Amino acid sequence: MKILITGAGGFLGKAIVERLLAHGQNDLRCMLRDTSKARGLEAIAARYPQSRLEFISANLKNPAEIVPAITGCDMVIHAAAALKGSPAEMFLDSVVASRNLLEVIVNELRPIRIVLVSSFGVMGVPELPRGAMVDERTPMEQHPEQRDVYSHTKLRQEQLFWEYRQKYGFELVVLRPGVIYGPGGGHFSTRVGLNLFGRFLHLGGNNLLPLTYVDNCAEAIVAAALSGTDGEVYNVVDDNLVTSKQYLTAYKKQVRKVRSVPVPYPALMWGSKMVENYSKRSKGQLPAIFTPYKTRAMWGGNQFSNAKLKSIGWRPLLSTREGLDRTFAAFRANPEKAT
Amino acid sequence: MADLKKLRVGIVGCGKIADGHAEVVKYLDGAELVAVCDREPLLAEQLAVRFGVPGWYGDLGEMLERERLDVVHITTPPAVHLPLTRQCVAAGAHVFLEKPLAMTAPEARDLIDVVLAGGRQMTINYWPNFDPPAMQFKQMMARGDVGDPVHVEAFIGYDLSGNYGQVLMSDPNYWVHKLPGKLFHNMIDHVFNRIVPFFPDAEPEIHAFAFKRREGVRNNATDAMLDELRVYLRGGNVSAFGSLCSHARPVANTLKVYGTKATVEVDFNNRTVVSTASQRYPSALGRLAPPLQMTGRYLAESRKNIGQFWRHEFHFFAGMSKLLELFYEAIRNNGAPPIPYTEILRVSEVMDQVIHQVYPVTVGGGAR
Repeated sequence: MKILITGAGGFLGKAIVERLLAHGQNDLRCMLRDTSKARGLEAIAARYPQSRLEFISANLKNPAEIVPAITGCDMVIHAAAALKGSPAEMFLDSVVASRNLLEVIVNELRPIRIVLVSSFGVMGVPELPRGAMVDERTPMEQHPEQRDVYSHTKLRQEQLFWEYRQKYGFELVVLRPGVIYGPGGGHFSTRVGLNLFGRFLHLGGNNLLPLTYVDNCAEAIVAAALSGTDGEVYNVVDDNLVTSKQYLTAYKKQVRKVRSVPVPYPALMWGSKMVENYSKRSKGQLPAIFTPYKTRAMWGGNQFSNAKLKSIGWRPLLSTREGLDRTFAAFRANPEKAT
Repeated sequence: MADLKKLRVGIVGCGKIADGHAEVVKYLDGAELVAVCDREPLLAEQLAVRFGVPGWYGDLGEMLERERLDVVHITTPPAVHLPLTRQCVAAGAHVFLEKPLAMTAPEARDLIDVVLAGGRQMTINYWPNFDPPAMQFKQMMARGDVGDPVHVEAFIGYDLSGNYGQVLMSDPNYWVHKLPGKLFHNMIDHVFNRIVPFFPDAEPEIHAFAFKRREGVRNNATDAMLDELRVYLRGGNVSAFGSLCSHARPVANTLKVYGTKATVEVDFNNRTVVSTASQRYPSALGRLAPPLQMTGRYLAESRKNIGQFWRHEFHFFAGMSKLLELFYEAIRNNGAPPIPYTEILRVSEVMDQVIHQVYPVTVGGGAR
């Protein structure tokens, strides 16, 4: 089976390639925007002598470049997405790119199974009470535009896949990872806090972090790709999750000192209302970086379930403790992404 | 007297800069953003959803027909400004265009002719020139505080690793690389629109040179892009020096006018307008006073800025709000446009000459 992986050179993409090879899927086509990223993949492939890796440089914004990438594939794992940039760029890179990919896929004669890497951000947690369980039955976000551009793009992207599946009837499995972490990843999810004016505002308090170690997440994606049921969604979080406070404490101990200021949830909510009101009153003189809606979504605090993922045979490769130890050791050795 | 009816505004081209337009129009009393359009409907949709705009379209003709717009903001790359202007004017809409106005000065002239022939109005988004410090400086000039201009220096910095620069450097197919003047073409309106108003009508003498300072070869279209531009100009009794600088830090944005009575520096980023203090007293003692005078002037500017912030007059795009207020007012009253068309054309002509001098191959190769 030939599998195309988009975003194969990225933080998660590389781990997906490695897990596919580990599961004996050797015929892989890696789509990269920047071919210099192929070196890391070649190093991974060297550990699997049977592997047959193809590298294809394509920009998903250009449909003509997608056609040769899709030809001959039986499965597409779509992991490419924009993490930064202006809203228009992020929509181009995530949503328009996905539409272009779908258009090519549905015009292929052979059936192609699609695995979409979506996000926790598409779920409508602001509507839930604090501490509520978040699982695959949680409804999708109703007001993504009030949340953040990343969640908005991921929601629109996932909607597109469901719309196209409805219309064209291909096999689709969707994964919604929580916070993907690991060596080479970011140091702090916004769910832990934000750097503001030279201080780290610790906003997550005692909330559980929906962490998934990058290899565990990749393992989940491969499990769903090979054994997931068509038309189903699988949330991806690890076992024995830590709280935001535990994460920050361990980080300070194992990586570096951080001057943090804890902000309790009621104070954060009060501050968010003030910021939103000020932004409206001043006609946008300062942007509403905090609003009650965003605060509920990011720092309200929830419980998380991975039972559905386990029902298809997924087990984490690393415990959260091992994952954090390994990650913090890498952060200590390479502090460049600390801010 | 101004019509109380709100102008119906649309945007065509839903890229990055359209966000700024939507943000400004959202808070303007005399206008309502009713529809947005992009040939990529998903881009039109995201802008509409994020700003609560009721209509979004993938086709300009359809938007114009259904929405009966008073004004269309054209925020597309410049290569299509002329045909889009033609379409909007034919539908009875006035047009507000992003810079650069067109690919060449003759095309800019055609565009303005189309607007005039259709009995509509146009202006171009020279928003920094309507920011609070720019307005303050215009008043100083009008009062005669500076005297006659002798020399003008306009400097703009550019950050190749910034939000806009990253896209430019990472995508060899980005539209800016296809402009005859590449990066300069997209930026130097903001240099010459500050210099040209000081020059008498005579065509200025122009000496431009440019170079590529950054290192590294990417083996794609980005390599052809020069990143440092210096231009000397002289028109009548006034000389000028314009720069676009991609490597100096901080990324500055200034205008300095050396007049017969005073020398004044406008800092667009820091929003200060300060005239240079001169030595009034003799000897070394006399040199102690000017820095203190300058301190007092900067303190006064800080106080002024804090006051504006307190009164909610310190928005990032304050200049665009001001320019649009003036433009919409001109539309309502059929008055003079906020930027004279002759001035817009002279900026285009200077840009043409500069681009011709620094990218002669592009021009000679018929890419224009």
